[in-house]
Amino acid sequence: MAAVVFEGVWKKFRRGERHDSLRDLVPALVSRLARRSPAQGLADEEFWAVRDVSFEVRPGEALGIIGPNGAGKSTILKLLTKILRSTRGRIELNGRVGALIEVAAGFHPDLTGRENVYLQGAIMGMARAEIARKFDAIVDFSGVEEFIDTPVKRYSSGMNARLGFAIAGHLDPDILLIDEVLSVGDVGFQEKCVARMRELLARGVPLVFVSHNLSAVVELCTRAILVERGTVRFDGRPAEAVAEFRRARRDPIASGAQPDTDGIRITDVQLLQADGDCSPLFHTGQPMTVQVHYHAGRPVQRPHVAIDIHGVDGIYCAGINTRMDDYVLGTLDGDGRVELVIPKLALLPGCYTISAGILDAQGIRPLDLQSRAYPFSVVSERRDFGCVYLEHHWRHDAGLDARSPGETTVAPVACAPRRLTAAIAGVGGART
Amino acid sequence: MNKLREVIAEQWEYRELLVRMTSRDLLLRYKQTVMGFGWAIFMPLVNTLIFSVIFTRVAVIDVGRPYPVYAFCGLVAWNFFSSALRFSVTSLTSNPSLVTKVYFPREIFPFSAVLVSLVDFAVSALVLAGLMWWYHVVPGWSLLLLPLVVAVLVLFTAATALMLAMGNLFYRDVKYLFEIVIAVWMFATSVVYPIGRVGGRLGAVLALNPMTHLIDAFRAVILDGRVPDHAFAITTGASIVMFLAAWLSFHAAEFDFAENL
Repeated sequence: MAAVVFEGVWKKFRRGERHDSLRDLVPALVSRLARRSPAQGLADEEFWAVRDVSFEVRPGEALGIIGPNGAGKSTILKLLTKILRSTRGRIELNGRVGALIEVAAGFHPDLTGRENVYLQGAIMGMARAEIARKFDAIVDFSGVEEFIDTPVKRYSSGMNARLGFAIAGHLDPDILLIDEVLSVGDVGFQEKCVARMRELLARGVPLVFVSHNLSAVVELCTRAILVERGTVRFDGRPAEAVAEFRRARRDPIASGAQPDTDGIRITDVQLLQADGDCSPLFHTGQPMTVQVHYHAGRPVQRPHVAIDIHGVDGIYCAGINTRMDDYVLGTLDGDGRVELVIPKLALLPGCYTISAGILDAQGIRPLDLQSRAYPFSVVSERRDFGCVYLEHHWRHDAGLDARSPGETTVAPVACAPRRLTAAIAGVGGART
Repeated sequence: MNKLREVIAEQWEYRELLVRMTSRDLLLRYKQTVMGFGWAIFMPLVNTLIFSVIFTRVAVIDVGRPYPVYAFCGLVAWNFFSSALRFSVTSLTSNPSLVTKVYFPREIFPFSAVLVSLVDFAVSALVLAGLMWWYHVVPGWSLLLLPLVVAVLVLFTAATALMLAMGNLFYRDVKYLFEIVIAVWMFATSVVYPIGRVGGRLGAVLALNPMTHLIDAFRAVILDGRVPDHAFAITTGASIVMFLAAWLSFHAAEFDFAENL
């Protein structure tokens, strides 16, 4: 028997504001009576977020759901967790559902870590005795034992998430739903999370994994579906789904402008660690190499290669290309690869995507473009704000006034920046 | 009927969470207060004092027993009702992250608001016992019926709480409307005076107020040593029907909550 059944599911959403006050109710009711719109159709402001999506997940299976932003992935997950109800179709989940989604949603800032473990545990459906039994393991997993009796409003967002994941991870679910688990916490914690997922998978717990991290989907999942504009575009082996996703991400203008297949194409883009490893998890300040593999069906004169990095929220972090760097590639023919070597990756922890393109000799017209097709995550011990890590140190010259002329020369002090960050945040009373 | 069994089964499954949410709210309510539960007693005491001055010094009325006991008894029951509703109205809208991000039966929000007020109710009932001892009011055998009266009061409160919480989620006007209605409602109920003495057409309308019958029954079993009258029996039936209807319609709408918050 399938653990998860999703059969012909449709979900309708309303664009924009709905009537929130009684004053708007009367006209809305009148117009509804007048129009008598059929429940199945679409009214003015409505659109289908999910259209006729079907899949099944059996015990031991891990289904990856990939697709561009706004494709309906999260809506599918919300339908699975019963937060939303489908407009049409059948959704069935057989067994206790553990969702690694919004794991800290039930936390109340004024309650201590301990109180919140019990509260969040109950929200996730654990009995009190069960939480009490697992309490030490949860706290141990989260790594916040020192602060367990501190109100969580004093926690950093990382600590919050870690405690939440620790609780969710100790639920013994019959079905596991995960959304972007790999974007939280430091490397050590992420490894613990992945190990826990593998453990559950090995026990035959079916898994639904929604992620931008395509490599993780290929690595963990037994099957993947590619969702685009609310419909399933591809259903099959994860590697093929990822390939299909990347094909789909090719800029339509570029492919339109270059219909002949013997032009130049990007065949693959690989993100490499310092040791040549292909894992998509990078560290702030560590090297990163972007390899663009190409195939040219016929000689292409002096093209340029461009790499863009975007944050997951759409922030354009960096745009680099060979033209601006006056790096001449010469004539490309056959297969080859161009490497962009970044000695120190100056990005702060988060999820990013790489777009790769090959431009013509003028550096204007794209010959091939894969926009935001290659995601990666950055992790670090650093807790600076923003998306860019600026290499820095601090200096402080005290006693510049004339009060004690004998002691004016104080050696500049380079502070440990991390402690200072914590100190500033502490003074402001803000969450660090 | 199947639907009903389903919602009750689901609520039972999540009973731990109901207890947790209730203790969360209790903890939060009195965290960083000096008086703590004292606040639960303070309000009805102040009101009792005010109405005692009005109805024993200014406009003297005879209620057949020491007025402060009469008033406090009514106010304790009324305060339970009104504070449970006040917390319920915003219970869904003040927990947006829970409503939009996690699934569990949403009834838990208004139900825990009712339970929190029930704890306050129990605390102020102790003060009522003290007051009765002071005024030498001795309860009779009818006190055994108190659990039944309280159960019906809770049922009626919960029914109203469900409707208000749901109403305010869809239309934020409900929150403001509620404040007006509850103020008027108190004076249309026999909280601090026997409203049953109003006659004529107005009296007939006022007799439809279930809260009057509930508070009268509450006083009857505690202060008068009387079994509640037939009006209470009718109110009991009505409360059960209302509660089930409110719960079922809340359940039917709860899947739309996340989209409308």
